[in-house]
Amino acid sequence: MSAKDLAHHVITYRNVFVLLLFCTALTVGAAYMDFNVPGSMAGALFVGLTIAIFKGYLVAGNFMHLKTEKKIIHYILLLTVFFLFVLLAIPVLWHIDLVQ
Amino acid sequence: MEIPYNVEVREETGVYNSKLGIWLFLASEVMLFGGLFSAFILLRTGAPVWPPMGVNGSILPLLEQTIPHATFNTIVLIASSVTMVMAWVALKRKDLTKFKIYLGSTILCAAIFLVVKYFEYSHKIHEGFVPAHDTFMAIYFTITGLHGLHIIGGIIVLAYFFGPGIKMWDSEPERFTNRIEIVGLYWHFVDLVWIFLFPSLYLLN
Repeated sequence: MSAKDLAHHVITYRNVFVLLLFCTALTVGAAYMDFNVPGSMAGALFVGLTIAIFKGYLVAGNFMHLKTEKKIIHYILLLTVFFLFVLLAIPVLWHIDLVQ
Repeated sequence: MEIPYNVEVREETGVYNSKLGIWLFLASEVMLFGGLFSAFILLRTGAPVWPPMGVNGSILPLLEQTIPHATFNTIVLIASSVTMVMAWVALKRKDLTKFKIYLGSTILCAAIFLVVKYFEYSHKIHEGFVPAHDTFMAIYFTITGLHGLHIIGGIIVLAYFFGPGIKMWDSEPERFTNRIEIVGLYWHFVDLVWIFLFPSLYLLN
């Protein structure tokens, strides 16, 4: 990796750091706003988790270099994300009564 | 016998072996935390009131008091991720002095995180909100406790590279740089988990 590439990386890290701080402020601010349908937390959950997913993308893509990582790493993570969604879907399926 | 593919890239995978190894480990970590998140969703969707009321009432007022602590800890962890990646950049630039400054800063941030967490736990336990109080407190202590253990594990490894492990820089600088990249990936993952824990446990109740 050349000195120019490293300098470019450092600028990216600085920008991502600022963006992450901004998103953290946004997450806290959003928690005090009322996005909700009465009796439901769906709006707040959607906004809060969307910001968290974006922050996660910034960390994984830039600090963990996933944007420039090899295909085999991407395949491993795609498989992981698939099984993660299966795992997260189990509690939702738990409440569905298939007989009715 | 020399361990192969520590520095050079393995043709079949396109990466050096320890990088493949850490990503497989992180994949298993995703499933570990994913399982706990799944339990969290199950408890939350199944509860008539969230967080549930226990003998000491609801945790909500106390939880709102600790939002500034958790926000501060989020900023500390994000800063530690930046110093971690800058430590790797310093090694790529062959600047060992800056590497020590950045790695030392990462360890300091990790220690600050744990100190804040200690005060937060103490406050909750002192008010009677122990894991047995209700299902929210049980899953809260389980997930944040496991995350805290990951922070402690990270500190141990980072301290090793700050202390005795740094000797490798003199004999195998490229391999040492790769080791820092690997521990960095672990550290960013710990930050990533906290990014999801913060809104889920503190803000969206």
